[in-house]
Amino acid sequence: MFSSSSGIMSKVWNLHHYCCSLQLLRKSISCKRLIPFSTKLRSICSESGMWNSSFIPVRHHNPLHCVKHTVHTYNNPAIHMYRLFTNVQRVCVSCYSTHASFSDISFNADHVQMFFKKIKNEYDDIQKDLLSESASITGSKLKNLHRRKLELLPIVDLLKKWEEKNVELEEINILLQDSNDNEMISLAKEEKLEMMAAIRELEDEIFSLLVPKDEDDDTSDVLVEISAGVGGQEAMLFAAEMFEMYQRYAHFQRWQFDVLDVGKSDIGGIRHATVSVSGPGVYSYMKYEGGVHRVQRVPKTEKQGRVHTSTMTVAVLPQPREIDLQIKPSDLKIETKRASGAGGQHVNTTDSAVRIVHLPTGIAAECQQERSQIKNKAMAMKVLETRLYNKQLEEQQHIQRQSRKLQVGSSGRSEKIRTYNFNQDRITDHRIGQHLHNIDGFLSGGDDLNDLIESLQEYYSVEAVKTLIQDYSQKSTISE
Amino acid sequence: MPLQYVLGEWDFRDLTLKLRPPVFIPRPETEELVEMILQYHRPRINLHFLEVGCGSGAISLSLLHEIPQAIGIAIDQSHAAVKLTEHNATRLNLHDRLTVHNIEVVDSFKIPNDIAGPYDAIISNPPYIFHDDMKDLAPEISRYEDTKALHGGHDGLEVTKNILKMARYLLKHEGSIWFECDPRHPTMIKSWLDNHPETDVKFVDVGYDFSDRARFCHLKYIPTKVKT
Repeated sequence: MFSSSSGIMSKVWNLHHYCCSLQLLRKSISCKRLIPFSTKLRSICSESGMWNSSFIPVRHHNPLHCVKHTVHTYNNPAIHMYRLFTNVQRVCVSCYSTHASFSDISFNADHVQMFFKKIKNEYDDIQKDLLSESASITGSKLKNLHRRKLELLPIVDLLKKWEEKNVELEEINILLQDSNDNEMISLAKEEKLEMMAAIRELEDEIFSLLVPKDEDDDTSDVLVEISAGVGGQEAMLFAAEMFEMYQRYAHFQRWQFDVLDVGKSDIGGIRHATVSVSGPGVYSYMKYEGGVHRVQRVPKTEKQGRVHTSTMTVAVLPQPREIDLQIKPSDLKIETKRASGAGGQHVNTTDSAVRIVHLPTGIAAECQQERSQIKNKAMAMKVLETRLYNKQLEEQQHIQRQSRKLQVGSSGRSEKIRTYNFNQDRITDHRIGQHLHNIDGFLSGGDDLNDLIESLQEYYSVEAVKTLIQDYSQKSTISE
Repeated sequence: MPLQYVLGEWDFRDLTLKLRPPVFIPRPETEELVEMILQYHRPRINLHFLEVGCGSGAISLSLLHEIPQAIGIAIDQSHAAVKLTEHNATRLNLHDRLTVHNIEVVDSFKIPNDIAGPYDAIISNPPYIFHDDMKDLAPEISRYEDTKALHGGHDGLEVTKNILKMARYLLKHEGSIWFECDPRHPTMIKSWLDNHPETDVKFVDVGYDFSDRARFCHLKYIPTKVKT
C-alpha cells in the first residue's frame, strides 16, 4: 500500500531527526511539544499499514491533528503522507515561532553580560562584607545580606560553569580549525554540538533563576469572579461556558473548586459567579486568566444567523492570608432575610442568604450557598476579605509600578486577552499572539488550556527577565 | 409545612441534623449563641454542661462537635425531642459524650440524681415568646412546631426563671449560664435578679445577634457567702 510513499516516509524520518537535533541544539520550551510528536510520527510510519483506522484524535493545534484531517480528505496514501509532511512542517515552524523562550534573549549581548558582571560584583561585595565586617553589620541588615547572598549564589555558580563551558567550546573550535584528521573533526563536531546544547541549557537555567518572584505565586487560594460583559443573554451564555471550563480545569489540576455565589439567567447563562479555587500554586496559573474574554459566533438567541461579538470578564484575586487585613466589626453591616420582624423563635425561614457590606469602602459580598446562615456569613466574610485585600493589593501595586516599572503581567489586567471565534474554530490569545484550534477541546479545560497557560507563564517569565536586564542597563548608563 | 420538616433535615453550623415535627427547628440566631459559648469555653480546659430544652440537640451536639473534650447532659420535657436528640447524637457519633433525659424543669423543682452537677455551664434556648405574641406566630410555626418549645408564659421567662432558681444547686463556683432570649428580656432578667438575690446569679453580658438585637445572655453563679 505504501510502496509509492517510501520517499515521503524518509522525509518524515528526516523530520524526526530534525526534531531530535532541534531538541539537542535548543533545549527550549517549544521543543517539549515536538518530542512526543516526533515519537508519535515514527510509530505512525512504522504501523502505517493500519493507520487509517487506528488514529486517535489528538489535540487540534498538535500537528497530528492535521494528519487526521488529511486522512479524511484524501484517498491516495502517498498524497496523505506528503500532505502530512508539509502540514507537520508548517505546524512545527508555527509551534516553534509562536513560543517565547529564553533563547529570545541573547546571552552574549553586551548589556546582558554587563548585567551578569554586576551580579557577580554584587555577590563578591556581599561576600567581602560578610567576611570582614561581620561584627559591625547587625540585625536586619545582616539578615538582608544573607538573603541576597542566597539569592545570588546559584546564579553566580551557574555563571562560573557557563564560563568554563565557553572556554571548552573555544578549545574545540581551535581544534576544528587546526586539525586535518577527518575522524578527529567529526568527533570534535559532535562534541561541539553537545557543548553548545549544554551551554544553552545553562543559559536557560540562569535566566529562569532570574525570573522575579511574584509574591502571590505561592498563594494556594484564589477567588475567581466570572461576569458576563457586553452582549446580553449571549454574554451570559458564554460566561456559563467559561465557568464550566474553569470548573473542569480545576478538576484537571485536582484543585478544589467551591462555588460561593452564582447568578443565573433564565436560559442557563450566568450573570455573575464567584468561586473559590484552592490548590498548590493556583494563583501562578489562574492569574493569566484574568481579563476580558471575547467571543465571536452566531448566538443561540440569534434568529437571522448573524455573528455577534460579546465579552465576559474574569477576575482572579489571591485570597488574603489572615494576618494581612484588619476589619473592624463596627465597619460591617450584615444583612439577612431575617432582619425585619422579631427574629429568634418568632420566625422560621429557610432563606439563609447573608450579605455583608464594608461601610467605609462600600464593598459588599454575599453568600447563599449554604443552608446554615452562620456558614454563609463566614463565606461572605471570606469573599469580602478577599475583595478588600485585593483592593489594598491593587493600590499597593499601583504605587509599586509607579516607582519602578518592574511588575510584568499584572499590568494588563483589564485588557482584552483572548478571543474565541467559533465560526473559524479558533482561539487567539492576544498577549502572545498565539492561535489555537478546537474550541470544544479548549473549553473542556484540559491539556489545551493548560498548555496555553504554561506558554503564558513562559512568555511572562521571559518578559520579566528582559525588563530586569533592561532596567539594569538603563540604570547603569545613568549612573555612569 | 416548614421545608425543614419536609426534607427531614437541615444544617446547623457544621452539622446536618435530622428534624421531625413537632420538635423545634433550630434558628440561625442559635448558631451565634453557640459561637459565643465556644469563644468563652474553648480556651478553658473542661466543659461539662447541662442543656435545658435540647430539641433536636443542635446546641449540645455543636458544642460536643467543636470542643472534643466537652461532655454534656441534655434534657427536654418532650419525649419526641429526647428521641430525636439521641438519634442525631448517634448519627453524628457524639453519643458517647451526651446523655439525654426526659425531664421537665418546673418551679421548685427537685433535681433528680440523673442530672446532678456540678456543671461548668448551663445552656438553654428556652421557650421565650410572650403569651400575647403567641397568636401572631406564622401558621407554619404555630401549627407544626411544639408550642411548649415556644411559649414562655405571660412574660416569656417562665422556664428561664426556673433555671436561674436552680442554678445554685447545679453550677460550679463561677459557672456560666447561657440563654437565648427575646430582645426585651435582658433588662427584665436584670431586674428580676435584683429582686432575687438568693439565686446568687450575676448578669455578665448581653450578646447581639446578626441584626443587632439583644438576643443572648451570659450570667454567672457567684455565691456571696460560702454554702454550708
